[in-house]
Amino acid sequence: MDRSTLELADELRRLLGPKRVLDSRSDLAVYECDAFVLEKNCPSVAVLPESTAEVAAIVRLCNERGVAFVPRGAGTSLSGGGMPVGGGVMIVLTRMREVLEVNLRDRYAVVEPGVVNVNLNKRLAGTGFHYAPDPSSQGACTIGGNAATNAGGPHTLKYGVTVNHVLGVELVTAEGEVVQLGGPIDGSPGPDLVGTIVGGEGTLGIVTKVWVRLTRNPQGVRTMLGIFESVDDATQAISAIIGAGIIPAALEMMDQGILVAVEEAFHFGFPLDAEAILLIEVDGLEVGLDAQRDRIAEICRAHQAREVRFAADAKERLQLWKCRKQAFGAIGRLSPSYCTQDGVVPRSKLPHILQRIRAIGKKHDIRIVNVFHAGDGNIHPILLFDERHAEQVKRVLAASDEILTECLACGGSVTGEHGIGLEKLSFMNRMFSNDDLDVMGRLRDALNPGGLLSPGKLLPTAGACGMEQIHPGRHAPV
Amino acid sequence: MHNTTLSRAEAAATRPVSRGEVADLVREAQDSCMPIELVGGGTSLDYGGRVRGAARQLDLGGLRKVVDYEPRDMTIVVEAGVHMSDLAATLSQENQQLPIDVPRACEATVGGAVATNWCGPRRFGLGTIRDYVIGIHAVDGRGVAFKGGGRVVKNVAGYDFCKLLSGSLGTLGVITQVVFKVKPLPECVAMVVAKCPDLAVAEDALSRLAMLESPPVAIDLLAGPGWPSFSEDSPAEGCFLALRLEGTKTEIDWLFGRMQAELAAAGTRGIDRLEGGQGENLWSHLVEFPECGEVPAPSDGAAAKSPMVMQVIVPPSAVTRFVAELLSIDSRASIQAHAASGVITVCFSKFTPSDLSPILIARLRPSATCAGGSVVVVRTHLEGLTPHLIWGGRNDAVVLLERIKRQLDPMNILNPGRYVL
Ligand SMILES: Cc1cc2nc3c(=O)[nH]c(=O)nc-3n(C[C@H](O)[C@H](O)[C@H](O)COP(=O)(O)OP(=O)(O)OC[C@H]3O[C@@H](n4cnc5c(N)ncnc54)[C@H](O)[C@@H]3O)c2cc1C
Repeated sequence: MDRSTLELADELRRLLGPKRVLDSRSDLAVYECDAFVLEKNCPSVAVLPESTAEVAAIVRLCNERGVAFVPRGAGTSLSGGGMPVGGGVMIVLTRMREVLEVNLRDRYAVVEPGVVNVNLNKRLAGTGFHYAPDPSSQGACTIGGNAATNAGGPHTLKYGVTVNHVLGVELVTAEGEVVQLGGPIDGSPGPDLVGTIVGGEGTLGIVTKVWVRLTRNPQGVRTMLGIFESVDDATQAISAIIGAGIIPAALEMMDQGILVAVEEAFHFGFPLDAEAILLIEVDGLEVGLDAQRDRIAEICRAHQAREVRFAADAKERLQLWKCRKQAFGAIGRLSPSYCTQDGVVPRSKLPHILQRIRAIGKKHDIRIVNVFHAGDGNIHPILLFDERHAEQVKRVLAASDEILTECLACGGSVTGEHGIGLEKLSFMNRMFSNDDLDVMGRLRDALNPGGLLSPGKLLPTAGACGMEQIHPGRHAPV
Repeated sequence: MHNTTLSRAEAAATRPVSRGEVADLVREAQDSCMPIELVGGGTSLDYGGRVRGAARQLDLGGLRKVVDYEPRDMTIVVEAGVHMSDLAATLSQENQQLPIDVPRACEATVGGAVATNWCGPRRFGLGTIRDYVIGIHAVDGRGVAFKGGGRVVKNVAGYDFCKLLSGSLGTLGVITQVVFKVKPLPECVAMVVAKCPDLAVAEDALSRLAMLESPPVAIDLLAGPGWPSFSEDSPAEGCFLALRLEGTKTEIDWLFGRMQAELAAAGTRGIDRLEGGQGENLWSHLVEFPECGEVPAPSDGAAAKSPMVMQVIVPPSAVTRFVAELLSIDSRASIQAHAASGVITVCFSKFTPSDLSPILIARLRPSATCAGGSVVVVRTHLEGLTPHLIWGGRNDAVVLLERIKRQLDPMNILNPGRYVL
């Protein structure tokens, strides 16, 4: 460890005491990457603040010393958003995990950034309200991380993504001031700064408190499975359902490849010979639900669904959702390594993109399975391989690139929820013009003028300190 | 011949028809340090502050194309000058809608609605216009054309200019094109009204409605003489609740039953379901209210423009308390509260410059701010109000926005004085 790092660690210890400052190699290893594991780099120091004042003091110290710093929640980012490019101080927010207030009449809760998504909903159980954004990683990821990445989830199809549920934030700015934007009430006058900070991937400020919207639980739900002989029929059915003006609460697709793994793990009784299933849920007033469910079933059948099964009860419904949300965990059964991609196409282009994914997999000789938020057109092809074979890694990267390029050609996006982070930097100038990127750079300069807050992320020309731009081809998750 | 060419050139100078032309005009303005006043449909130019000093008007009404509409994807790409009513007409052909209720929709434009982040009565159930913007094209104060978002409903690539420009009142960029995600039109709509003998009854009814599993999409609390009579009772005493239900026929019938039970239990009277023309009439009153802002003149009772319209935003649970306070300030004020969202629009029946200090500065603004809310002067006859008086003080958000403003509009030529930037 060099001298300036030692001094910095000492000063941080003066702020936080000895236990909440980590600077040994072994302690820091945990923080060398998040769920995007291709790029790794250890921070010089990791700190575990317990209050906003501590976060602000840490940030001011980093500014005085000209050291980069990166906020981190649970580290489940799939785009390397929390990777400490060039080292510096990692500010880990998981110790700020209090739910500070719940107000049902005014429909909001105030939480610290380290509150784990599912814990907020556990706290709300029995109140008749919930926090709607439900990323599949909700058992681990934090509300602060969700706000930074503008996380989505199966039910954000009907209820909207994180930005639609964040009313206000307390922010420690890149220079260490503490500010409050928005608050318990939606709709302060003027430009929507809260909405701009949410999804800023931690490059516009550190969120130290979040006012979230609470959503009334629906009176009833109906959950069903559409079982299809072909992926093509399933994707046609998706766009037919949406095209018919029905917005289900959730509309997810799993293909045969993933079903096999999920079935092995959870023994739900999925048919293993079907090419695709749709997991569809509608919610709302009891009196209207059966009609909606039947209409969807009818559309599925009109698209050659072999069978449409209705979840019998709440238990079966939970089991179905467990299978869906833990699908990623089951993939380990299929191959030693996998890469979850994240792209978006207009919903009517789903049949096309899935055909292309199949063709691309064949071309690069990479097995690809699919489990994704179909109703939003948000695809998550999962590329299976063995990372010990460098040559396979290359083919995975080439296939990923080709899939995302096809999303762009369809008028879509290279990320629907995982973010640009480090992983997709090389796509930014394919999606955006130099002028677009220039204005984005100016926005970052306005709020992160020294560039010390999470350098090297989101914008390709980020004022990276230390680490050079890595070869663009390597920016893909493994 | 010569003359026509000249006037065409002049017209092009103030009424651009493409983003490229807008960028050229802004660049010219920047070079000559000439401020620009952005004009969409011109319905809300007096909303908030007026542009300060001499400015060249940039009329965005020439950007009027529906660029792309893909009903199956439920997305539409329109230029900023498209009228909200034309957008609605295009969408309704496919049984779709942008559920944002803007007054004077035949004149109001898409760009203006986004720049003001407009919300109407359905805000509670369906949000504000920013919730529907998934892509945006704009030109910054340096004449640089840029975009954010895209054409798909879910997208987190890059910074979200759709949000930053929503509510920016033309101070951060000239919006030239917007991509919206849209919704299906509901199969059926019904309006429900109920009379509350006093605000305590209204409060009871509102807290019951807030807890319902499937509340109405709009819950408006109406008070004052500006409202037409919906029943035998005089509207001046007590107040009304106006609810909008949307859904299938079966759902609405069920919901109405539920509303009736809750409203009756709270002690409201004359609960009525307004169908067809009567319902539409009430709905259009609710949508147009902030714009027409009429109050009976003190002298003869004939309708006159309110001298002062404010928007008070407070937590939903504080709405009736604030309505009471507003009525105690001016018993003849007309009030519309989107009660479940906490947005109260008040049209005062009288307001003089000497009222500003005791009413706005010393009373309403501190108590709204204390409750976590805000007060904005929506429009007024009074002259010379500073932006800070109109919008409220320089809070944390404004400090950060000023930094963004310096980056995107360094010469301060876009709508100076319109907002606190
Ligand atoms: C199995 C699995 C399933 C997933 N499913 C989904 C899904 O369905 N939908 C979805 O959207 N994502 C999903 N993700 C991705 C990931 O869970 C989300 O991006 C999540 O929001 C990250 O939260 P986190 O607390 O782990 O944040 P981290 O990974 O720690 O950080 C993410 C980014 O936010 C920044 N950050 C963290 N906290 C703060 C803060 N308080 N203030 C400012 N910036 C901060 C970090 O610097 C980083 O850039 C999944 C990931 C995995 C591993």
